[in-house]
Amino acid sequence: MSSRILVVEDDERIRSSMRLALEEEGYEVDDVASGEEALDHFAAQAPDVTLIDLMLPGMDGFECCRALRRQSAVPIIMVTARTDTHDIVAGLEAGADDYVTKPFVAKELGARIRALLRRARPAEDEPRVLTFGDLELIPEQGVLRHHDGEDVHCTRTEFRLLCELATNPNKVLTREQLLDRVWGYDYFGDGRLVDVHIRRLRTKVEPDPALPRHILTVRGMGYKLVP
Amino acid sequence: MTHAADALAPPAHPGRLRTLLRGPLEMWERLGLQGRVTGLFAFGALLLSFLMGGLSFYTTSHFLVSDQVNAAITEAHAGAGTLQTDLLATSSPRIPALLADVDNGSGATSVLFFHGHRYSSSPFTVSINDLPSGLVSLVRKGTPATQNFLLDGSPQVAVGIPLPARRVNAMYFAVFSLADLDHTLHVLALALALGGLITTVLGGAIGRLASGRSLRPLTAVSRAAVAIARGDLDTRLRATTEDPDLAGLTQSFNAMVDQLQERIERDARFTSDVSHELRSPLTTLSNTLDVLEAHADELTPRAQRALELLGADLRRFERMVAELLEISRSDTGSADVSLEYVDAGELVRQSVAAGTRTMPESVPPPIVWVDPVLDGSILSVDKRRFERVMANLLENAALYGGGATRVAAEHGPDRDGQATVVVAVEDHGPGVALAERRRIFERFYLGQSSGRRGASTGTGLGLALVAEHVRLLGGLVGIEDAPGGGARFTVELPVTDGEEPW
Repeated sequence: MSSRILVVEDDERIRSSMRLALEEEGYEVDDVASGEEALDHFAAQAPDVTLIDLMLPGMDGFECCRALRRQSAVPIIMVTARTDTHDIVAGLEAGADDYVTKPFVAKELGARIRALLRRARPAEDEPRVLTFGDLELIPEQGVLRHHDGEDVHCTRTEFRLLCELATNPNKVLTREQLLDRVWGYDYFGDGRLVDVHIRRLRTKVEPDPALPRHILTVRGMGYKLVP
Repeated sequence: MTHAADALAPPAHPGRLRTLLRGPLEMWERLGLQGRVTGLFAFGALLLSFLMGGLSFYTTSHFLVSDQVNAAITEAHAGAGTLQTDLLATSSPRIPALLADVDNGSGATSVLFFHGHRYSSSPFTVSINDLPSGLVSLVRKGTPATQNFLLDGSPQVAVGIPLPARRVNAMYFAVFSLADLDHTLHVLALALALGGLITTVLGGAIGRLASGRSLRPLTAVSRAAVAIARGDLDTRLRATTEDPDLAGLTQSFNAMVDQLQERIERDARFTSDVSHELRSPLTTLSNTLDVLEAHADELTPRAQRALELLGADLRRFERMVAELLEISRSDTGSADVSLEYVDAGELVRQSVAAGTRTMPESVPPPIVWVDPVLDGSILSVDKRRFERVMANLLENAALYGGGATRVAAEHGPDRDGQATVVVAVEDHGPGVALAERRRIFERFYLGQSSGRRGASTGTGLGLALVAEHVRLLGGLVGIEDAPGGGARFTVELPVTDGEEPW
């Protein structure tokens, strides 16, 4: 079954061309012209991936991103005309998993979408259970919960990032390694993606996000998880 | 300065005076404003003290001398009176004793011509022949007279009085020494000259101080101008003074910089806006092209060829817009550099791998050589910028140098005690002529070898971006001859030994 993609873009020509190109890549595409329509459409039929242009009339891309994030963990890729740190970090803070800058080619976008949709396939019969702090993580089932059974909500990207760290406890993973394994980027990927997601993850799994005890920054090297 | 002087000078007929004065005039011009003001002040002080000193010396000496002479005349007359009485009273007077008496009263040296004899009260001080002959002949005719003269280099005043009487027919001369007065005047002259010298030096100093003070705003303007030329467009002059003259200068200078900055920013913003606006249609174009290319086999051969051309130039156009945007970002000062600490060798190897990945297969990848001494050398760089630098240099070598043959990373020269790493991209192409080496980093500069536009040419911005990225990374770019011919583009980056950046 092909994946369903929601494109939120106000420029009609870009929207149509993206639809054509993504359909060519084998996706089913729905497109809307505004953030408000996107929320309506989302309620009617949840997509597998959402592409949001940051510059939208009315409700802007950041707001749309936050609104979607409040109700879903759907992977979000933001589409931006600007590559300024400010816009990109703001978009990631708003809940986006990744970003592409205009002009982009459908192949590049396709690679980003595939990376986001990639799931850890169940490789073993016995599902692994990783624990740290009072949390337990079952990668193959996409489960993150407290020992008392209460679920912790996080996005798919956050979950995969956490899995990478948790399967290598006490081992430092560089940003390059994390970018490669979680986002599918090479050596020159954007380290800001990792930093913003680590920050978001800490707010969900750390008792005190300002003084992390499990997800630690190793200066000059990367990040590691201490159970 | 010299131009202005030439323009103001009367045209034609350069007289001899001008020819003579040219040398000193040029030297004068070269002195600079402050030097000239100092010179003028010193000269003015010299002139003034010379005038004042001369005037006071003249009046003082005139007064003192005439005072002394008048006193001498009075004394001489008194002496002459006494002498005449004594000569009349005695038939055979003892003249030397008489003269000594007179001398005692007046302090002069007396000389007496009497009955054909000549007497001097002190022949060793003033001998008879020392008297000026003009004075003697005047007195001989019966006229009292006074004359100044020098005796053995010492100034004297001689007063001559005829002593006419029935039996007495004599001439009396009183010679007074003016040596004391002369000494006084010498001391006075010396004091005045010293005063003049001090005044001149003071005048010069005041001139220097005053011109320095009045030039201070100019110094500030020049400093600000240098900063602005360096690209620091936020530099302004501070309005520190209420002085209306200076306030005007400050205001107009700042207004000029404001306008300049506004214009530069508007130009940069325009490039940025244009590039941004071009991004939307480009997105449509490249997505549509992707679809068309996926269905290329359904097209006729002619249409396929047209699609190929369209695709090639659309990608080039895309790159131009992207590169223009990158350049305009650093022009508007909104370029953000995200520095990371990375291993030098690893960075070079990864960048070359990434840069050659996009190359056509006809271009063989270069040999990468990292000097083993670089092991552990840490660079603080923006990896993405460095990757762009390497990709552009490799592409440049592919376009104009037959492809990069070797990429070498080695130790560079120390800069201010900081170690550097030089990354060099070498090719075996025609090389870059000396005259072109600076200009080749300019935007859209087309060098000799890039004149022919082949099937794939660059955007004309590649090397300009290399220079811009390297500048933002705090490094230097350069071109040399590669060993064995060809060009060797070098990027020199500082090695970091400081704290980790995060």
